[in-house]
Amino acid sequence: MIGSSSNISKIQAGGGRITLSSHGRKVWISELSATYPLKLLSPQLSDNGVAIVYALTYGGGLVGGDCIELSVNVESDAKLLLLSQGSTKVFKNRLYQRLASVQNSAHASLNSESPATLQKMEFTISSNGGLFLLPDPVTCFRSASYNQIQTFHASKDASLVVLDWVTSGRKSLGENWVLSRYYSVNEVIIAGKRVAKDVMLLENNESDSRLNRALAERLAPFSCYATLILRGPMVEETIAQIAARYGCISVMQRKAPEDLLWSLSPIGSDNENGVVIRVAGKETEIVKNWLKDTLSSLEQHIGVDVYRRAFV
Amino acid sequence: MDDDDETYLLLLLSDSNLPTGSFVASSGFESYIKHGFGGTRDDKSNGTDRTTTFMSDSISAYARSALPFVSDAHRVVRGVTTGEDATIEEDIDDGGDSKSEGYPEGYHYLRKIQELDDLYDVMTLNHVTKRASKSQGVALLTLYSKGFSNPYSATSTVTSTMTSLITRYKTLVRAERTPGHLPICWGILTGALGLTLERSLYLHIFLHARSLLSASVRLNEIGPYNAQQILLHVSRGIIKTEVERCKDLRTGINLRTGINMSMNLESEDPGFLHEGPANTWPLGEILAARHDLQHSRIFNS
Repeated sequence: MIGSSSNISKIQAGGGRITLSSHGRKVWISELSATYPLKLLSPQLSDNGVAIVYALTYGGGLVGGDCIELSVNVESDAKLLLLSQGSTKVFKNRLYQRLASVQNSAHASLNSESPATLQKMEFTISSNGGLFLLPDPVTCFRSASYNQIQTFHASKDASLVVLDWVTSGRKSLGENWVLSRYYSVNEVIIAGKRVAKDVMLLENNESDSRLNRALAERLAPFSCYATLILRGPMVEETIAQIAARYGCISVMQRKAPEDLLWSLSPIGSDNENGVVIRVAGKETEIVKNWLKDTLSSLEQHIGVDVYRRAFV
Repeated sequence: MDDDDETYLLLLLSDSNLPTGSFVASSGFESYIKHGFGGTRDDKSNGTDRTTTFMSDSISAYARSALPFVSDAHRVVRGVTTGEDATIEEDIDDGGDSKSEGYPEGYHYLRKIQELDDLYDVMTLNHVTKRASKSQGVALLTLYSKGFSNPYSATSTVTSTMTSLITRYKTLVRAERTPGHLPICWGILTGALGLTLERSLYLHIFLHARSLLSASVRLNEIGPYNAQQILLHVSRGIIKTEVERCKDLRTGINLRTGINMSMNLESEDPGFLHEGPANTWPLGEILAARHDLQHSRIFNS
């Protein structure tokens, strides 16, 4: 890449930057850079104001000690769909970093005895822009330890669709919530004011109390949990549809839990700040189909072909 | 405060006649049962298991999300009595402009409490839990100003500063300029009364457990004697474990300057990430939020 070094910030190992610019009805990716083990791909598409970027890791997963830092800037009037390719698999901690890694200052601050995995993403969405973050779920394998911090700085009239979901492990190996730690933060800041900070922590605790409830027992019978945040002009209609559906639900005494459960809460007290939806399903597939169906009205903003790439 | 004073306070605060509004809250238990969790209702012996299971998960989750806020609010209010700058800020919420000024020296108690309150509000996205939290929170403030302030003898400067602070905070809550959430108000109340932090945390979780068992009796899950049996023999271990686990957690707000440390992640030790408030029971969250979807219900949350 040609350019003066003063324009291009240094990127740490596992670092990445995406900038999506727009002019008139055209959008283009003015910056797309990533260092190992992060990889960013953007397919060429016919333009309707939307760009797609796939964020992947070499080897298809994260291992203990990996530190990914991604900075995303969606400029005015631009729309970005950020996806992954397959579930983000998190392998358990191990003592040594990847051999091909470049020393990263963030590594030094992590506990070197059993380094956890950290993914940090910072998003800025400008006026009338839209961010559609629809990755596959995170799957923590046995004893894995995973931290994820996502911060969203949005303008007053920007739109956000943020999906953050996690599954119970590799069913084929009988893994049922046997991760060591899963920690995920989603912080939403609108016009400089923080409106939401969702912190989810799942861990297998040692407990000497008489009722020692394992994580799997507390989350049963569901093997997939999702959090979905929606706000902004582009999702108003979607929110209205979902709210109408929610309003029709009436729960009578049940003998056993349903296969999928979901809840809807407004963010903040006025209508300006969107909603948070939580979903739990007995199978990841059930949750995926629900999400795909529920968010289908987004097609009018990003197009049918583009939407089809999500929830594959 | 000597042991006698403390004991008397504990007796007072654990009185079930205390007007706190917790009577109408089931902490999501009614919804849990309605949605078919914890086994069928046909088997009578299920009630005990279902109650103790739910109680264990609920206490664990509530402690992790609320106790850091009780701790920090308690700390702020204790600052009034320990001789820090005892002036109360005059105008704390002038449309947000004051937040961009530099922080003057000394403590600004109301602003700090408000920051804690706002943080709890944005971290608790479950609207049903929020609703219950706000109604119980303001009840505690009212309890202090109408029930615990002393009309019988001359009060010290500190006590009248405290009363003034709490009355002002209650006014802000009524004016909807601050949410007035339960964990923060509990921290304020117990800090104002002079209860130690450790006792305050323990009592808060004890009351949560007791309230849950009371709800269980009213939901016909267990009988009143069984409830006492559980409270004495089962709850105690859970309460102790969870308070022990969460007693050193903080919210991340720097109580000196009001800057939220967790906003500044660059220079931060990722170890901090594990030390703050968090939601540890997503299933409980969903069921609590769905409370209002029940066709018929006897509790408000």
